[in-house]
Amino acid sequence: MKQQPGKRKLARWGVLLLAVSLCAQAGDDTDPGPTLSYSWPVNAGPLDPRGYSPNQMYAQAMVYEPLVRYSASGTLEPWLATAWQVSQDGKTYTFTLRDGVRFADGTPFDAAAAKANLDAVLANPQRHRWMELVSTLDHVEAADRLTLRLVLKHPYYPTLMELAQVRPLRFASPQAKPGQAVGTGPWMRVESRLGEFDRFARNPNYWGAQPAYSQVLVKVIPDPNSRALALQVGQLQLIQGAAGEITAGTFVRLRDQGFATALSAPLATRTLAMNTGRGPTRELAVRQAINHGLDKQAIIDKILYGLEPRADTLFARNMPYADLGLKPYVYDPAVAVKQLEAAGWTLAPGAVVRSKAGEPLSIELVFLGTSALQKSLAEVFQGELAKLGIHIALRAVEDGALVRRQRDGDFGMIFADTWGAPYDPHSFVSSMRYAGHADYMAQRGLAIKDELDRRIAQVLASTNEQQRAEQYRFILATLHEQAVYLPISYLTAISVRRASVANVQFGSTLFDVPFEAMTPTQEH
Amino acid sequence: MLRYICLRLLLLVPVMLGVSLLVFFLLHLGSTDPALDYLRLSHIPPTDAAIAEVRQTLGLDQPLYAQYLTWLGKAVQLDFGISYLTGRPVLDDLLYYLPATLQLGGLALVCTLVLSVPLGLLAARWQGRWPDHAVRAVTFLGVSMPNFWLAFLLIALFSLWLGWLPPLGRGSAGQLVMPVLAIALMSMSINARLLRASLLEASGQRHVTYARARGLGERQVWRDHILRNAWLPLVTATGMHVGELIGGALVIETIFAWPGVGRFAVSAVLNRDFPVMQCFTLLLTALLMLCNLLVDVCYAWLDPRSRLQGVSA
Repeated sequence: MKQQPGKRKLARWGVLLLAVSLCAQAGDDTDPGPTLSYSWPVNAGPLDPRGYSPNQMYAQAMVYEPLVRYSASGTLEPWLATAWQVSQDGKTYTFTLRDGVRFADGTPFDAAAAKANLDAVLANPQRHRWMELVSTLDHVEAADRLTLRLVLKHPYYPTLMELAQVRPLRFASPQAKPGQAVGTGPWMRVESRLGEFDRFARNPNYWGAQPAYSQVLVKVIPDPNSRALALQVGQLQLIQGAAGEITAGTFVRLRDQGFATALSAPLATRTLAMNTGRGPTRELAVRQAINHGLDKQAIIDKILYGLEPRADTLFARNMPYADLGLKPYVYDPAVAVKQLEAAGWTLAPGAVVRSKAGEPLSIELVFLGTSALQKSLAEVFQGELAKLGIHIALRAVEDGALVRRQRDGDFGMIFADTWGAPYDPHSFVSSMRYAGHADYMAQRGLAIKDELDRRIAQVLASTNEQQRAEQYRFILATLHEQAVYLPISYLTAISVRRASVANVQFGSTLFDVPFEAMTPTQEH
Repeated sequence: MLRYICLRLLLLVPVMLGVSLLVFFLLHLGSTDPALDYLRLSHIPPTDAAIAEVRQTLGLDQPLYAQYLTWLGKAVQLDFGISYLTGRPVLDDLLYYLPATLQLGGLALVCTLVLSVPLGLLAARWQGRWPDHAVRAVTFLGVSMPNFWLAFLLIALFSLWLGWLPPLGRGSAGQLVMPVLAIALMSMSINARLLRASLLEASGQRHVTYARARGLGERQVWRDHILRNAWLPLVTATGMHVGELIGGALVIETIFAWPGVGRFAVSAVLNRDFPVMQCFTLLLTALLMLCNLLVDVCYAWLDPRSRLQGVSA
């Protein structure tokens, strides 16, 4: 039988489609010099210095710089400002700007340019009012070419800490056209392909030392397993971050395969808040017993592969004002049982759950159902606390519902990590005063809550370093003694690299990766 | 025929309207709040004021029916809103990612057809013998194995162990091989099994026995009398595979970092990007309906009997 012409044509089209598809793949093989390949789940976004999602903070931190920079030890160091003075009343901050700094487009960075950027933030207070400094800032003055003055409505000590944050108080060139990302940072974005990659190149006008890499290619890879595979076959040279870039298990596997790995200093705290306003956790003895009754180190070793340091206090010691030497709740089930018995939570013969005046010792633990890690932790807590006669009712919810429960206080215990550097402790503590936060809802049953809130307001407005440290001591020690939180571990950033990259360092916050410090090796 | 095609195209309008209504209200029935997702992605503490501000910006503070009517009013002008996640027009984003998905899906479809026909023929021609057993074993695996599992196995074999193919991204012919195979294997297996069954059924028909009795050669019997009658179920199945291939692309594109609509849609689902989910569903509905129409037209083209039935009806 002869093939009909129509069918033959169809077959030809099929072959043509195949051939065109195979040939039409565009390649970009030009060698731009040493390129560091990294990955991120999404594109970097439009890179507006004052923009939020979809702008990615790691990329904003590459392109835009702050007046002062947050260091890993929790202190502040000069950056675009070389010096600063705070007035006696704590309301005026005068910055001396670094001379000779230019934006990537050649425009000089001076007080006028800085003022234009900060004025743009003040012009849109609704959008940025989550940051307390924005509502506290009255106006900005450009006193002379290199002197910038920030005048506040009232004293606010975390001013410098908030100026160090990635957004919205960093600086873009006033000459930049809409959609252009022109900062003073070591990198500038030169190419972006949606869904594929963002390419950053060295900023030729950078005021500091030029990065050793001429480019950073950030590939869009959403899946953590795929990211690990890409590193293994050499499509990526570096995996680094604190946003679950790969699982703890994958990290250990890659380490065992010989990849160079590293863990950062603590950047935030993985913790649970306990509701002092309702249920059995309203009693101090129950909260303390839970803190004593969990072998956190064993849990970390089993579930987190021992990768995160055990957390004994709400904030790690490297956070500002947090190195207080508070006495940890050591793991001791006997102490836990004793505390429960003394408080009247007894175990009836044959019962597995303690009760008091007919009320069972049952606590609802709310966790993010889509998080395998939270689920595992919650299940271990349930099993461990059952041995003490405490019943944990697990409640898996979606992330939106989790936030809603945090806001409404609809929980017995709930996962509520701290916000991390540079928000900890001041922004985190500040939020404890507002209804609608898990921390406020968790603490509202404390008899001392009003005093705590008063002290938090005082510490934020304090102009005296010693008084501030004392206030923080009171606040953090009280929360610790009242066992409002069950700190589990300190969140760290992970880093896995191929041998072709050297000098890999961690940023000082959850959001930045210091590519400019990294160098290619001979293997590259 | 032209009238029939026009009628079917017109039918798209009420179907799309119904789907949009259903999807819109289903999305908003859940306990999730896109404003909270936006704040989470922006690393902004979800204070009452911040939530109210975002809800207003995203238009979520309006009553549900008003939100739908506003959306519909714009959608008929092909304005499907702004993605909460990327801040870009939804249609622009989807159309940007669509060619990559069509490339993957198109090649997977070609691969499905090119591989399933010889396999089906092989199995039917040597029924009960080792080629049949081998094909059945392969297709059994293909039908049973989840595509994401197959994807990781392929990467382990071709990228990690053999180092032949790059595991991720788009840009070279080598990067197409594994995603296409991972998507196509299931459809290919279903098609091969279907063709085998269809061929065996056709080979038992009386006209085949008669053809053999007429002294026709075995090759001619198979080509002209068995195969021609066994094609039709394959056409129907192929139409249905288009949906499967796009469904497969959702997962496969994420694993292979393939910049297509599927991966974009998965990210939209994970982050409650309602405008994208809404537009993606409509796009998929339209695509599937058009494919069904194409299958029906092909049917009429391939089988004169259905054309005659159409005329008499």
